[in-house]
Amino acid sequence: MSNKENFPDVNGFFGEYGGKFVPETLMCALDELETTYNNLKDDPTFIKEFYKDLSHFVGRPSPLYFAQRLTEHYGGGNIWLKREDLNHTGAHKINNTVGQILLAKHMGKKRIIAETGAGQHGVATATVAARLGLECHIYMGAEDVRRQSLNVYRIKLLGAHVHPVDSGSATLKDALNEALRDWVTNVDDTYYIIGSVTGPHPYPMIVRDFNSVVGQELITQSNELFNKLPDAVVACVGGGSNAMGAFYPFIKEDDVRLIGVEAGGEGVETGEHAAPLNDGTPGVLHGARSYLMQDEAGQVKDTKSVSAGLDYPGVGPEHSWLKDIGRAEYVAVSDDEALKAFHEVTELEGIMPALETAHAFAYLPILMKELGPEANVVVNVSGRGDKDINTVAQIDGIEF
Amino acid sequence: MNKLQIKLEDLKDKNKKALVAYLVAGDPDLDTTLELMHLFVNSGVDVIEIGVPFTDPIAEGPIIQKAHDRALKKDISLKNIVDMVIKFRQTNTDTPIVLMGYLNTFISHSDLIEESDKLGIDALLVVDIPGELKLDSYGISNPNIDTISLISPTTADTRIKQITENSSGFIYYVNLRGVTGSSNLDMTEIEQNISKIRQYTSIPTLAGFGIKTPSDAKILAKCADGVIVGSSIVEMIDAVKETKDFSKIEEYLKDLNRAIN
Repeated sequence: MSNKENFPDVNGFFGEYGGKFVPETLMCALDELETTYNNLKDDPTFIKEFYKDLSHFVGRPSPLYFAQRLTEHYGGGNIWLKREDLNHTGAHKINNTVGQILLAKHMGKKRIIAETGAGQHGVATATVAARLGLECHIYMGAEDVRRQSLNVYRIKLLGAHVHPVDSGSATLKDALNEALRDWVTNVDDTYYIIGSVTGPHPYPMIVRDFNSVVGQELITQSNELFNKLPDAVVACVGGGSNAMGAFYPFIKEDDVRLIGVEAGGEGVETGEHAAPLNDGTPGVLHGARSYLMQDEAGQVKDTKSVSAGLDYPGVGPEHSWLKDIGRAEYVAVSDDEALKAFHEVTELEGIMPALETAHAFAYLPILMKELGPEANVVVNVSGRGDKDINTVAQIDGIEF
Repeated sequence: MNKLQIKLEDLKDKNKKALVAYLVAGDPDLDTTLELMHLFVNSGVDVIEIGVPFTDPIAEGPIIQKAHDRALKKDISLKNIVDMVIKFRQTNTDTPIVLMGYLNTFISHSDLIEESDKLGIDALLVVDIPGELKLDSYGISNPNIDTISLISPTTADTRIKQITENSSGFIYYVNLRGVTGSSNLDMTEIEQNISKIRQYTSIPTLAGFGIKTPSDAKILAKCADGVIVGSSIVEMIDAVKETKDFSKIEEYLKDLNRAIN
């Protein structure tokens, strides 16, 4: 047992990563959020309310499913799938939004904003806002609006306003910039639901805690299904919320390998990717210090990934810290490898993963060779792939 | 005392208010920035604030964001900006220069910040670092230049105290909840907050964000020690980038100077 899970510190740092690097106007909002969260997180009524919503609205616990044919395909250890794709709205993102909307409610905020990349967080936010009848604004890079048109329409159907963001690279990073600007302007009545373990303290902690239900369930389910903890937990990492939620309850279990898979785009060696933990340096973006894709002048680089949800130059600060202390491993797979895995899992298991999730599957060819036949590997199936059908069809040269 | 402190002290002695004008370095190009800096001084600007372009300027409204983007397309870095300041100093040795930008850019050029006083820079304003933190914890330290901090309408009293203790040069009071270039100034709130800041510190408090017209500046100068104008200047620079006819900017700055004094 170790105390590596007792972070962040009081100033919001995981080692040298994290912190609150925001314009002054937001400092009071972050303090207010931190105080509210600290008061509520151990309050039995709040916890009961959160878990009730997770059961009855989200549909938890999500199954831990034995992937028979995938296991046979690799011929190594056993492959288990944590089915976050079966959650209401189709991804792990709803766990966090269900929790944060409760915080917004307790704080009396009337207006909800969020950024989104693949659109899953936008859908999850619009969903919980609709449920409480709160005004909701979603910022989305114009490029992502194009790639994820299905989710854009879903968000609109849920009564939220979608604001396409044209600045910079017109992807997730720019959506975050614009959401922060909205928050600076409307700070008094607005709650900002950040969708990943990124941003200024206390967000990386709050998002991790709400999403840790995934790892907690995994511990129970592993013990029930194979009488021990898994040998490895594998998850894709963009900002890193699905990975952090799955990893966090295992941090103190040193025998469980934690493997984060970043978006290698055209290949890490080409520089055209979104893999800051593999090919970045520490820097400050969106309120936190963490590994970052940046040039020598400190300018943030454009990223490249087939998956909108991983197309982000930064990563959650806790991942940077877990990398540096060697508790988690971070690898990258290319667009091509992810697409191959997308088809493979769909055909072998009848489960169509999101392109983000396909990155985690794409590391199995290497991992399963390393592990023995008795090993149990859990892949966190962070989301379902329906939203990516247009992208995949286009790559395969199919027109509807 | 450095140039900034001398200038603000001098204005105070003369019972005058400070006019601070902002522009983004390298928009449209560095030669023009240099030309504009001299024009600023000749039009009654007391302090020049140079925006250091960054890819993700989260406190900026659309006008200044676009200026950052335009400058970055020309590969403007802090190194180029410092070279331009050195040129400016060949003929102007007394107008204070403040660099305003984002932490990541400054961290990447900590060597330049260490020497910045010798290079002609008088103060640093880092938009995305809380004012109670010390810049030297982030490897950007130079005791010979001032550290300007922002205080906003939402800053809690306890933090106002900490921030003022950590600041030098002047306090930058952010007039509104919003990004640069917004509107809707609430004068009652601004007056109350500036007088609150004065309870904690004797260094000058200048007001910025949302100042568009000479009459905005005039009202603010009644309670602040000076005003900072950015977006409207940046917008005017962009409008005449082809013709390079800066006469309107000159006129505007002169009007602002008259309005506050």
